Amino acid sequence: MAEQTPDETTLDAPDAALVAAAVDDETAPYDLAGLLAATGASEALLEAVERAGLLVPHHREPDGSPRYGEADADAVRAGLTLLEAGLPLGELLDLARHTDAAIRQVADHAVEAFLRFVRDPVRGTASDDHEAAQRLVTAYEEMLPATERLVAHHLRRRLLHRATERVASELGGAP
Amino acid sequence: MRLSVHTTVLDEDRPLLEVLPASPDALAWVRDGDGLVAWGTAARLDPGPGTDRFARARAAFDTLAADAEVVDEVRRPGTGLVAVASFSFDAGSPGSVVVVPQVVIGRRDGVTWRTEIRGDGAVPPAPPAPPAPPARSPATTPHRDRPRYAGSSLPDVHWLEAVAQAVARIQSGEADKIVLARDHAVWSREPFDPLDLARRLTARFPRCHTFIVDGLVGATPELLLAKRGRSVTSRVLAGTTGRSHDEAEDAALGAALLASDKDLAEHAYAAASVAEVLGPRCTDLQGDAAPRLLRLDNVQHLATTYHGHLDDPTTSVLDVIAALHPTAAVGGTPRDVALQMIAELEGMSRGRYAAPVGWMDAAGDGEWGIALRCAELQGARARLFAGVGVVAASLPEAELEETRLKLRAMQAALDAETTA
Repeated sequence: MAEQTPDETTLDAPDAALVAAAVDDETAPYDLAGLLAATGASEALLEAVERAGLLVPHHREPDGSPRYGEADADAVRAGLTLLEAGLPLGELLDLARHTDAAIRQVADHAVEAFLRFVRDPVRGTASDDHEAAQRLVTAYEEMLPATERLVAHHLRRRLLHRATERVASELGGAP
Repeated sequence: MRLSVHTTVLDEDRPLLEVLPASPDALAWVRDGDGLVAWGTAARLDPGPGTDRFARARAAFDTLAADAEVVDEVRRPGTGLVAVASFSFDAGSPGSVVVVPQVVIGRRDGVTWRTEIRGDGAVPPAPPAPPAPPARSPATTPHRDRPRYAGSSLPDVHWLEAVAQAVARIQSGEADKIVLARDHAVWSREPFDPLDLARRLTARFPRCHTFIVDGLVGATPELLLAKRGRSVTSRVLAGTTGRSHDEAEDAALGAALLASDKDLAEHAYAAASVAEVLGPRCTDLQGDAAPRLLRLDNVQHLATTYHGHLDDPTTSVLDVIAALHPTAAVGGTPRDVALQMIAELEGMSRGRYAAPVGWMDAAGDGEWGIALRCAELQGARARLFAGVGVVAASLPEAELEETRLKLRAMQAALDAETTA
């Protein structure tokens, strides 16, 4: 059992359990070449997207080489679908940069809310570290998919509404 | 064909693009309200494809000039018989065009003139000169459709891959620098208006030469060659960064460009390719010791200016243009390797993009630029172009973004609803 020490980088048991749970639990079977083979994307494309900070590896090996999971392959295939539909890569990258910036803010906000309004109360009310760790991991495991559903649902609803409004306004304004 | 040419002083002080009537055969080469605008076609020369297209254009124009009957009351570069022309980038491509207009309005050194050029019946008789145009083209046009994307010759994801291939080949020592361009087709519900686009460009880029030649409309900051008598000037631009509304940030961007090894290397290749052509032809070629910063509305460039006097007084501006094209600013270094790589990687014909555009007179004087930042207009369709210099340190995604921004600026200039 980890003791609280003056070294702030050392986590106590409940937080360590939370951090362990917050690692994406999927496996990461692909290196960059494997991801290329699995998706049919070109090396030049994936390298450019990675340099742009838009293809975040699942983790990096000790030598720094990136590892990717099946979810990354799905994301790459989704990007290729958009390109094949005619969206220029330059526009897709621009959109991805804006999305990334917006998502970072949302992620920070969500993490802050979790820490202040879920973790802190649990830590203040749990009778011991073991109970605290259990309650935190349970809360996390329920809240992550709920959050994903909420964001995905809202994006879809908002996207469709905006599209409808935009097309309607074009019809109204066209000669 | 025997042309009769008459140049007289004209009492006119409006900017030349305001004087030019809306006309399908409008021609222009103007900067700061000076230069030439013209309309009508007294003769149209097709130099055809081939590396000798410049020489054939000169020979055909010289023949016209030798037979012409000229009364020139103004006697300056650009008075008397003139032709406005643009050439294909690639020697193998058709499309080069040399037009001798029927009416030219020119201005230089504060003097404005009008030249009338008439054929001897070998061409259809000239229509009557258009009446004086209104001060502005009618601003009453109701709703105009916007330019709409129609695709690219090469999808930009493949263009990115081409840039990556070019970088790899440069890193392997095959070449030092190569310029890669891509295009963007647009369409609209109404025809695009060349004069309207030219006016927008000149308002936005007053320090550029704005040109209209047979549907090719653009604004170029680069001066490929200006020749007046034996005196020649060339301004090379290569190496680019953005601008900022914040003064300190804008200055920092400029300072970073002046200190960027990648951009300085790219610039040095382009400057050397001009000096190598002008040096042996001039008695006294002088160039800036180091590149300077040229700030435009949306970008800042590294610029080097050369000035000298030609040894041979019979050299025409076209002779020098033929030797200069393509400079490393539009082709690459070494030139032949770069041209081969462009043909292999670009996946499109450049048409008249990135090629010489300008005018010449019967004395062999003239002003020429490179058709960059331009659109090829054809009715309700247009083709826009943008290119970048690729060197060993280039990042494909950064080059893609640079072309995206350039294309977006050009498309905005085409949009009648956008304020210039």
